[in-house]
Amino acid sequence: MDTLAKLQILSGAARYDASCASSGSKREVPSCGTGNTSQSGICHSWSDDGRCISLLKILLSNDCRYDCAYCVNRSTNSVERASFTAREVVDLTLDFYRRNYIEGLFLSSAVMQSPDVTMERMVRVVETLRTEEHFGGYIHLKIIPGCSSELVRKAGLYADRISVNIELPSQVSLQRLAPQKHKDSILEPMALIGREINSSLVERQADRRAPRFAPAGQSTQMIIGASPENDFQILRLSQGLYKKMNLKRVYYSAYVPVSADNRLPVLAAPPLLREHRLYQADWLLRFYGFSAEEILSDDLPNLDETFDPKTAWALRHPEFFPVEINRADYATLLRVPGIGVTSAKRIIAARRFSAITPEGMKKIGVVIKRAKYFITSSGRSFEKPDQTPALIRQQLLLGEGYGAPPPRQLVFPGLFA
Amino acid sequence: MLMNRYLYDGTADGLLSAIAWILEEEPDPQQVALVERENTLFEEGFFIGTDVILAESLFFRLRKQTPDAAHTLYSFMLAEKEGMETSLLHYISLAFRYGDKVNGYLTHSAVQEIVAIAKKAGRELHRMKGLLRFEKLRDGAYLAKMEPDHNIIHPLAYHFRTRLRAQHWFLYDVKRRTAARWSNGTLQFGTIEQFTTPPLSDDEKKVQAMWQTFFKTIAIPDRKNARLQKSNMPMKYWKYLTEKQG
Ligand code: SF4
Repeated sequence: MDTLAKLQILSGAARYDASCASSGSKREVPSCGTGNTSQSGICHSWSDDGRCISLLKILLSNDCRYDCAYCVNRSTNSVERASFTAREVVDLTLDFYRRNYIEGLFLSSAVMQSPDVTMERMVRVVETLRTEEHFGGYIHLKIIPGCSSELVRKAGLYADRISVNIELPSQVSLQRLAPQKHKDSILEPMALIGREINSSLVERQADRRAPRFAPAGQSTQMIIGASPENDFQILRLSQGLYKKMNLKRVYYSAYVPVSADNRLPVLAAPPLLREHRLYQADWLLRFYGFSAEEILSDDLPNLDETFDPKTAWALRHPEFFPVEINRADYATLLRVPGIGVTSAKRIIAARRFSAITPEGMKKIGVVIKRAKYFITSSGRSFEKPDQTPALIRQQLLLGEGYGAPPPRQLVFPGLFA
Repeated sequence: MLMNRYLYDGTADGLLSAIAWILEEEPDPQQVALVERENTLFEEGFFIGTDVILAESLFFRLRKQTPDAAHTLYSFMLAEKEGMETSLLHYISLAFRYGDKVNGYLTHSAVQEIVAIAKKAGRELHRMKGLLRFEKLRDGAYLAKMEPDHNIIHPLAYHFRTRLRAQHWFLYDVKRRTAARWSNGTLQFGTIEQFTTPPLSDDEKKVQAMWQTFFKTIAIPDRKNARLQKSNMPMKYWKYLTEKQG
């Protein structure tokens, strides 16, 4: 099979992987080599589904000996199989990079003969790229659960980001749907990576020449909707991963029905809206100072379909509002629906010069369509005061087209903001 | 009150030296207008001649006192916008007064205008870092053609000088007929009047076909969204995008 035919199979097999981030790593160009990484990340193209393309995202192989129920590549499924040689991946990456098609490589794989054999070949790809070809571009490498910790360590030395997929939100579901994968074989490398990242940071403080370990950090991914966990369980899991494992990102991937296996729920379509809401809630965890327990509770275990999680929170907490835009601190401004990180920063920067009026809000580019129900400027409200949450709810629905059908498109909040 | 009105020769250096002169001589630059000379007989206003050294020293002083404003000025100049001299003058005088805080003063219309234009130029520069496409030529060098709205060939070339330093390459701005060339560790800029694309290397079409294949397969078929694609990647850039050919 020629490289083009393999590419078709192995990029098609990788297309559902949500993670495309290529930012957060600062790697200098090796003096005789090619490529660097950009702190803010660069999109090189946008595919026909509107998603950013920044990395050559492929599987090394889709020839899997495992049989995870939710996966197209499971051993019992009849699909065409292919595997790249290490050299083919190296050449593709360099050929694409030199023409400025990509920021770098995102390499994952099905489990070939064994986790070690697979991981060994993946590490060979990045080792060749870094040490022989002096490639300085971005590399994201997936860790195959069950491979030796030696290979995990090596992977972290060459890659900018490494990730271990957590796959499903609970151990019970993992056992049911991916019986060959064990919770420990996922959590152990995660913890190892976390420790190595920390100790490399400490060492580099003492000595700038100490080797970096996965400088863009660690991420993971879980499948949403293939198992019965509610959003509250999922968000608490993510919160724990951010806090305890020091993860940079958790990616959520709406389950795409790929088989009629009776262990799986019957879905008419992938739960895209749910995935979208989880990304929004995740965003609140990481950048807005919310906790999972503020967003959801045992009585309210699933995210609102109609409203984004921040608006839903605001409607449940009328006592918090209105917020005075000329006095509120940054953290408080961030809690106002319709005011994001950029707007909050702009408000704080502009009010140093003079008090901000409703017209001033427009000038500095804050969209007040949604925010106006929740703020005052120098004591004046934007809307009639004393509106009940029920009334606000209604007006939001009318004014924003909230009743419109859920977005068909997968959106990554903030990635392209 | 009638504003004092000044004229300059329409060049970038002329603009900066006029601003430097006004900041020095005028007690309140916010009350002053600056426009390009049109050489009509009865043009009103006082002409300020171009002084390259004065222009440079203004930029260096600005960079020292407020790197943010200097960066904004640099990006603004990439936009080659006409008719905004007075706003720029007011912006720079505010920048010297407020330092790096100035870009937050978006309720001031001069600040808002200048920052908006600079942002737009900066956005295209960032976008182009991703959208530029090189083709390999028969002699082993790489060539990228483009038609950006802003005059960004300089900062773009600096970006690729670091990123693709191991290969020999050219950038060519088709609209402005300007080119950048990187070879053997030196970067040069120039203009090209007559341009003919040299022959491509033998394996070039093969690599392009791989990229086109990847581009097609990586999209999720059930989630086609041409509108989102076009808003992220406006069609005016498609002409030189390898994945949008063939
Ligand atoms: S191990 Fe990975 S590729 Fe193999 S079946 Fe499971 S999820 Fe799919």
